[in-house]
Amino acid sequence: MEEGVYSLIDVKEVHKFFGSLHVLRGISLSVQKGEVLVVIGPSGSGKSTLLRCINGLEAIDGGEVLVEGKKVNPHSRDVHKLREQVGFIFQRFNLFGHLTALENITLAPRLVKKMSSAEANEIGLRWLVQVGLSDKAKAYPAQLSGGQQQRVAIARAMAMSPKALLMDEITSALDPELVNEVLEVVTVLARQGMTMIVVTHEMGFARNVGTRVIFMDEGKVVESGLPEEIFDHPKQPRTNAFLNKVLSH
Amino acid sequence: MQIDTIIHIEDWFFLLEGAGLTIVLCLQAMFFGILIGLVVGVARTAKTRLIELPATAYVTVVRGTPLLMQLFIIYYCLPLFGINMPKFLSAALGLSFYTGAYVGEIIKAGLQSVDVGQREAARSLGMVSWQEFRYIVLPQALRVIIPPTFGFLIALVKDSSLVSIIGYIELTRASKLVVARTFKPFTLYLGAAVLYFVLCYGLSRFDVGYLRKRFSANLAEA
Repeated sequence: MEEGVYSLIDVKEVHKFFGSLHVLRGISLSVQKGEVLVVIGPSGSGKSTLLRCINGLEAIDGGEVLVEGKKVNPHSRDVHKLREQVGFIFQRFNLFGHLTALENITLAPRLVKKMSSAEANEIGLRWLVQVGLSDKAKAYPAQLSGGQQQRVAIARAMAMSPKALLMDEITSALDPELVNEVLEVVTVLARQGMTMIVVTHEMGFARNVGTRVIFMDEGKVVESGLPEEIFDHPKQPRTNAFLNKVLSH
Repeated sequence: MQIDTIIHIEDWFFLLEGAGLTIVLCLQAMFFGILIGLVVGVARTAKTRLIELPATAYVTVVRGTPLLMQLFIIYYCLPLFGINMPKFLSAALGLSFYTGAYVGEIIKAGLQSVDVGQREAARSLGMVSWQEFRYIVLPQALRVIIPPTFGFLIALVKDSSLVSIIGYIELTRASKLVVARTFKPFTLYLGAAVLYFVLCYGLSRFDVGYLRKRFSANLAEA
């Protein structure tokens, strides 16, 4: 395949069931390098599940997920290699509680990429500076605010130099005054050309930083387009209804 | 015929020897018990019934029956099936299986106490299962496992007195034997109690002084 011709992430007709609940109903989308794809939609629409299927945290029940042209199969022994390429930021941060901020960031580079401690520390400190937490290298997660923990989580994912980042409602669990510090970090990463799929309720962020927005409902993509198109001139009635509910308060 | 009913210094040494054997017995039981507990604890969290069921059965039975009965079965009933075991082995085996069930449950609780989100984060960073277990799950599980396990060891030192009934000469049995000769139960059993107390109190001081500080489950360390 030619360089730059295939998508970085491809989701093809993916189905996912949780018991008898049909969460993803043949959803398809593609993400190119450098895109910031924002996914909006009501709760239960399958947004988080979609991200977790791309990462291989959940197995799919139909269709296929491709990262850099390779199929994602959670049961295969090589799935961890794919996960090195795609970082995941969780709604609840999921920092390793027994490690300091710097140790959280350097653990995977040392274990997975087999970096030396010196190299890993250098990269770790650089990312801590970028997320504005250079003075918190030796702090434990319990000593950090939610916004700080999430920024460490972003630095932790970025230290692995992933090709894409998946962000699952990363500000939803934060107190309102802490949301901006995290969004600022993500905005900088986006401007630096990082490929991202961002599931969010932060419409201002979606409009400013997204290169494309898709509206998901009941396990499928209902509408897709540029931020201005979706937010200002939604074509689908369901999109319109959702935006009215969300943007009115 | 004159029976010597005086408690000599040698008798106290005999009790001390018994105390030493109590310690050895308990350390062995803890060692094998922890090994059994590791297998059982992990098996109890397994998704496949084939692995989980025997482990659950073992834990339920051992925790539901008196230690004394377990010791009797090993020492008195097994010979009926042709398995003859010396006293020491019966005592060690009985205590090990007993420990294994309790420590197994502590280990299971410790493993489950590590938030599943952290495991997902580890996997998302590209770590494989054994790395996730060794670097993320185990260190945090240990902080939850060690305090109650040590508490169990302190209780085990006292429970080990039961093996005196199958004739193994540890501290309790030693004191009984001297009482049989000297007819001075109060002095001797008090002495044995003091020795048990020294052992248990010593262990609990170690627990509070060193172990709790090092392995505290409070993760907000400065």
